[in-house]
Amino acid sequence: MTTVGPVPAAQPVGRVAGTRPQGASTPAPRRRRRQRGWVVGWLFALPALLFYAVFVLRPLVSAVQYSFYDWNGIDLARFVGMANYTKVLTDPQLLSSIWHAFFLIIFFTVLPVVGGLLMAALIRELRSKGFGTLARTVLFLPQIIPGAAAAIAWVWMYSTDGTVNQVLSAIGLDGVTRAWLGDFTWALPAVGLIGTWINLGFCTILLLSGIGKIDGTIYEAARLDGAGFLQTFRAVTVPGLKQEIGVCVTMSVISALASFDIVFMSTQGGPGYSTMVPGVLVYQLGFTQSQVGLASALALLLTLLILLVVLPLQRAFRSED
Amino acid sequence: MENTRRAQRTWRALAVAGTAAAALALTSCSAPGSGSGAKDAAAPQSASTDVGSDPVTLTLYDGAGLKTVDDALIAAFTKQHPNVKIETRYDPDNVQAVNAPRVLASDDPPDIARIVALSDIVKSGLLTDLSPWASAYGWSDLPSGQLAQYTVDSNGVRGSGTQYTLASGFTVTGLYYSTTLLEKLGIDHAPTTTSELEADLATAKAHNITPIMAGNQTGGVMTSLQFLMNDAMGRDAVNGWVFDEPDATVANPQAEAAATTIQGWAKDGYFNADTNGTDGTGALGRFAKGEALFYASGNWDAAALQKQMGSDVGFVLPPRSADGKTLAMSDPVSNFGIPAKSEHKDAAAAFLNFLTTPEARQILVDNGFAPTGSGTQPTTNGELSAQVQAAFADLVKADGQVQYVQNASNGASATWNAQVQLLVAGKTTPAAMMKAVQAQYVQDLGR
Repeated sequence: MTTVGPVPAAQPVGRVAGTRPQGASTPAPRRRRRQRGWVVGWLFALPALLFYAVFVLRPLVSAVQYSFYDWNGIDLARFVGMANYTKVLTDPQLLSSIWHAFFLIIFFTVLPVVGGLLMAALIRELRSKGFGTLARTVLFLPQIIPGAAAAIAWVWMYSTDGTVNQVLSAIGLDGVTRAWLGDFTWALPAVGLIGTWINLGFCTILLLSGIGKIDGTIYEAARLDGAGFLQTFRAVTVPGLKQEIGVCVTMSVISALASFDIVFMSTQGGPGYSTMVPGVLVYQLGFTQSQVGLASALALLLTLLILLVVLPLQRAFRSED
Repeated sequence: MENTRRAQRTWRALAVAGTAAAALALTSCSAPGSGSGAKDAAAPQSASTDVGSDPVTLTLYDGAGLKTVDDALIAAFTKQHPNVKIETRYDPDNVQAVNAPRVLASDDPPDIARIVALSDIVKSGLLTDLSPWASAYGWSDLPSGQLAQYTVDSNGVRGSGTQYTLASGFTVTGLYYSTTLLEKLGIDHAPTTTSELEADLATAKAHNITPIMAGNQTGGVMTSLQFLMNDAMGRDAVNGWVFDEPDATVANPQAEAAATTIQGWAKDGYFNADTNGTDGTGALGRFAKGEALFYASGNWDAAALQKQMGSDVGFVLPPRSADGKTLAMSDPVSNFGIPAKSEHKDAAAAFLNFLTTPEARQILVDNGFAPTGSGTQPTTNGELSAQVQAAFADLVKADGQVQYVQNASNGASATWNAQVQLLVAGKTTPAAMMKAVQAQYVQDLGR
């Protein structure tokens, strides 16, 4: 959040001012020149700032405004104060959707980060170039496929005669086969697993590049001290990857709490309400039910919730730097 | 150094605050929404059935799934009126339904548009009152069951009052059956009564054949449920509910009894066991492969089924109880209205009137839909298509067209689908289900 529009553009200007020979001019003109540089910097940033204001800030402010109204998107809105917020916080269906989003963190964050760490450490340990490239490509593929398309492919795999059930039958587990996305108990974990599949590649690649930055001599020292794979993993790899893990956790927690495409394309929140998440509800409320105010209130609360979860995480992963 | 950095940080903070303030200023602080500025334009103007000879360009706005039939209608109409050109604009079907009010309210509205949320759109003053053209063209002679779908009264209740739309054609629902399986089970005719149907379901189940294939992930069991609801509640009660009549409700013993029957069927295994994990397309494919005896659906599946099953498939109207009436869900393919802001209303009305002519009726039938109006039955190609058209003719004769309960309000469809999934899984009771649906309906209508 601190790297808002103006910063990157303003920096080069400052650097230009800094290269000027020290003490070559009297203080007064220098201040004037520096001021002019400052204005030029902002002028460079202006187009980006305008876009930011029109396409990010304005909708945000509009959403805040809408959230206090009962509005169908067309007719004159009616001011209702905090009513939309009270409804979001008391409606059991809306609350359960928030709980589902938190449950998805297990599949969108915990599994991919743990799996990604192990994969990255393994790929480094094996040091086989061919295998490394292959593993990287295979793992990163899901990241390239749009979430909506991935969800459709998984719907087929989860269907009664789909791949998942075929594999289960082949290994003698006929008893557990079912239409996974139509099962009240298993639909949410099944949807979560699609997220695991997508996020695992992202985490592995990021962590792998992080491992590359860890000083090779540390690994060598650990090896000379007789440390095995698990010990090296715990004492060298994980601490060395703290920042990367932080990025993985942050990104994937956001993708879990703000999930939309996977759920929308696979179950639309069903069966019943068992996989309903806030992202899909916001869409349903705002676009099919024309309750723009209520949808805005839920969306804003979701944003707030994500910030409340992510900001402490950011701090935790940054604290010792 | 420390000072300059702090100063920079302050400036940065100020800049962010300034941008935010600018954004605030961009957003007007008055209540959102345009009000009902279009209301005046909705008042009837002079109407003429003469399209004239000056060149006119109309825009037609419809769901993308209806492009083929719309193109055929436009080609036939513009052949009769060479001075009229009709441009088209499509959105995916559901998106069109959701976007229509916004498109109608925009500065560049179409001249002919498919209207789904008729009552809401009329309330917002976005449609033209068609009364002058209705009397000029004699639309009041259309079958009453069809006219009811075009009209809204002054309280926003549909089913009577002022005419705002005219449909290109109609859908019709019923029961597809596999003739092969029917024969195999020794059943000599397709069921016409509920008790015959239940006997057939039991026979199929006993022979390990899935009785009804339904894709309930997309709410497929709703079709069977509404067949029973129509029969139990009657046409007027169901239509009254969909048309927003005051005090209309589905939280009544008749609807609950229908839901109880469906829940019993699910418990007895009369639907495919994975129905909650099967979508509509999947269910259609499996029925076409001969996996089930019945498939409750509508005319839109006829072409695909005829192609895949040939003469192994038949169609009947929904079975009814011994003293019940012939009823089935049947509503407009495209319920065309003329936006209040349209500048070529006479030409647009001429297109609407064209929809009732034999030529347009034939085009609709050729595309697998049921035709608007009444009169000589258009010719059909194929056995199944003929059965569907005959069923529709019977339905119109019996005046038994019923609206889909999913269209009752903006939130109705999502609620029905979720609730019927809970129902077949035994996770809700029929009474709780109807109560939940009614609660959503009341909330949507702002009662």
